[in-house]
Amino acid sequence: MNYVDIIATSTALGLIVLAGGAYGVLYAVGMTQSSRSLERASYACYAAQLLLVLAVCLASPLDVPWKLFIAVSGMTYGFIPPATWRLLEKLHHDGVR
Amino acid sequence: MLVVLVILTIDSLQATRAGGRQVPNYDVINQHIGYAASESRGFEVPVIGPAEPLFGTTNSLQEATALMDRGKLVIQSRACMDCHTFFGNGAYYAPDLTKAWLDPAWSQIWMPMTGAKTREEAMLEFLMHPDQYPTWTRRMPDLHLSHAEAQAVVAYLKWMSAVDTNGFPAHFGRISTQN
Amino acid sequence: MYRSQKLALRYFAAAIALFGVMTAAGLLSAYYYIDASLLYNVFDFHMAKILHINTLVIWLLMGFIGAVYWFLPKELGREVVGIWLAELLFYVFCVAVAIVAVVFIFVQYGRADQFSMWFINQGRKYVEAPRWAAAGIVVVVLTFVYNVTATAWQARKMTGLLGVLILDLVPLSVLYLDAFPQITNMSHDLYWWWWLVHMWVEATWEVLIGCLMAWSLMELMGTSRRIVESWLYIEVMLVLGTGILGLGHHYFWIGTPQYWLTIGGFFSALEPLPLLGMVVHAVYDAGAHHMKTSNRPAFYWVLAEAFGNFIGAGVWGFMMTLPQINMYSHGTQWTVSHGHFAFWGAYGCGVIAIMYLVLQQTRGAAEHFDSRAWKWSFGLLNLGLVGMVGGLLVAGITQAIYERAQGGSTLQAFVVASESHWFHSGMYARLFFGMVFAIGYLVLVYDLLAIGRRAAAAAPARMAPA
Repeated sequence: MNYVDIIATSTALGLIVLAGGAYGVLYAVGMTQSSRSLERASYACYAAQLLLVLAVCLASPLDVPWKLFIAVSGMTYGFIPPATWRLLEKLHHDGVR
Repeated sequence: MLVVLVILTIDSLQATRAGGRQVPNYDVINQHIGYAASESRGFEVPVIGPAEPLFGTTNSLQEATALMDRGKLVIQSRACMDCHTFFGNGAYYAPDLTKAWLDPAWSQIWMPMTGAKTREEAMLEFLMHPDQYPTWTRRMPDLHLSHAEAQAVVAYLKWMSAVDTNGFPAHFGRISTQN
Repeated sequence: MYRSQKLALRYFAAAIALFGVMTAAGLLSAYYYIDASLLYNVFDFHMAKILHINTLVIWLLMGFIGAVYWFLPKELGREVVGIWLAELLFYVFCVAVAIVAVVFIFVQYGRADQFSMWFINQGRKYVEAPRWAAAGIVVVVLTFVYNVTATAWQARKMTGLLGVLILDLVPLSVLYLDAFPQITNMSHDLYWWWWLVHMWVEATWEVLIGCLMAWSLMELMGTSRRIVESWLYIEVMLVLGTGILGLGHHYFWIGTPQYWLTIGGFFSALEPLPLLGMVVHAVYDAGAHHMKTSNRPAFYWVLAEAFGNFIGAGVWGFMMTLPQINMYSHGTQWTVSHGHFAFWGAYGCGVIAIMYLVLQQTRGAAEHFDSRAWKWSFGLLNLGLVGMVGGLLVAGITQAIYERAQGGSTLQAFVVASESHWFHSGMYARLFFGMVFAIGYLVLVYDLLAIGRRAAAAAPARMAPA
């Protein structure tokens, strides 16, 4: 890999996880505050994450299997905040019964 | 997960034992060690060449093993890993030593500096008196290595350079920012 | 207060003292990069680093042990079994740490023989302490495990949380046995060494801090046991599910077979996913209580733990974990950047949170536990840490480019990278922010000594019952 590829790919990978984190945080805050705008902002972060995943798949020198793996995990990130939220709601609901 | 890890551990320990498929036996120090690209693997791999005795001596496997045992004890007793890295593990104040045996600095800098006739003699002299042969503002301290201890470390570094590390470090000595 | 809880306070005091030694040794280590002639041939970089990383491990372990000694009697409704032995061993532990440190400072190293291994320096990173001290740690840890299990046994009581903790303590203790062997073959040595280091910080310690955070949340937020335990089980499964084979990301380049590049890279890349769940959980808990809490410092340090863990371990780790990148980042200051961020986020913040939680109870300040100083120390410590991490990242990427990608990793390449102005800037920044961190530490000490005392003095002092 040349130095541009190293910096670009590693930065993209870090930003993918960071965007995923922003999605998770904004989603959770939006749900707590019942704020549609925050929820929308969270989806925007997820969209940004998917764009970064796409960029890695199209432009990075990683092999195809790795690109496939990153694409699949990018899609998995989408489920985690809503699924975690539903699970937490269920746990709390069951817990206070 | 644990079951898979156990199975892979058994295989990895086999592969990495001295004489295993990734790690040569200790008497490889009697031979020339190189590092060249492998088309099938897609990266550089160690190349074991013709006879090249160390310090003019061809060591039996037993002698070579004794050298390695002492060399590793030196490396631990002096905490080399807390300045240097080995296979990239350790501390980052001083250079990585994975391929130190192959470093051009020995012939280009230290052989002239020490007046040694061979690479290993230069390494030996440096290890025993590093403060007398500085090349940079960051200097290696004098860790009071005896002659035998320094010889053992040189042997250890030669053996280490022959370990198959899946291409790490990439293109060792074959590219340079000076080019 | 139970005797076990009084012991917890002593462990916390020792932990904070060692945190200070760690910080001082860290500043010293950082300074060598600026002035390499510092204490040359008197006290060199490797000894400063040894002090830095060994006190790191010990201060965190003492924090964990203290936290368990605090929560355990409340969990089981009785005094801890064998507490007299634990009390005695605490002092033995402290004396042993002091002796090891004195030998590191004044003797530093010995000859290449077993005497050095037993009494001076074993020279394996994080476990440099001589074998006699490692044996001492085994005794302390085994006593700790005995205290926990025997108390549960005698109380005829087991909770889910305690069960997870006890199950976790077994591998945690057994893994420490790697602090003893002296193996000639570097590949074998590192293979097992990584079992200890990775399976501590990326597996058993994660489960342990998970248990401690679960106890903390019950006290801090009044969250029900059923909720924290259910969440704990899920987290533990996810963390171990990714972390056990994530161990493989240390097996790319040490002479181990090539299949580790795929296996290690794959599982390691999954490791951030459970951390994302933890972040969502943290926000959920904060939101459920509308950010209101009677213990603001503990609350904010718990949040710092969740976010710091995610960013330091998750984001920073993911940047460098794929083998194609790691080939260049391996063995550079990039690793140091990740290490500092991850240790701080995953463990440092959590231990500090627990200390504040405990102090609220010992100072009898149930209603209003706050100060100005904690905000300053929180800000300075986190700003300092993030600044250090940033400086190290710049230096590390510089090395990855100049030394590895372009330089061919020779001594010449190492020097060229280390002399570049990017590297120098990164190291100056690291030292500067290290000083910010150190000031934050001093404010933390002041605050831990002072917080809650005025409130307690104003109202009749009362110790919160178990």
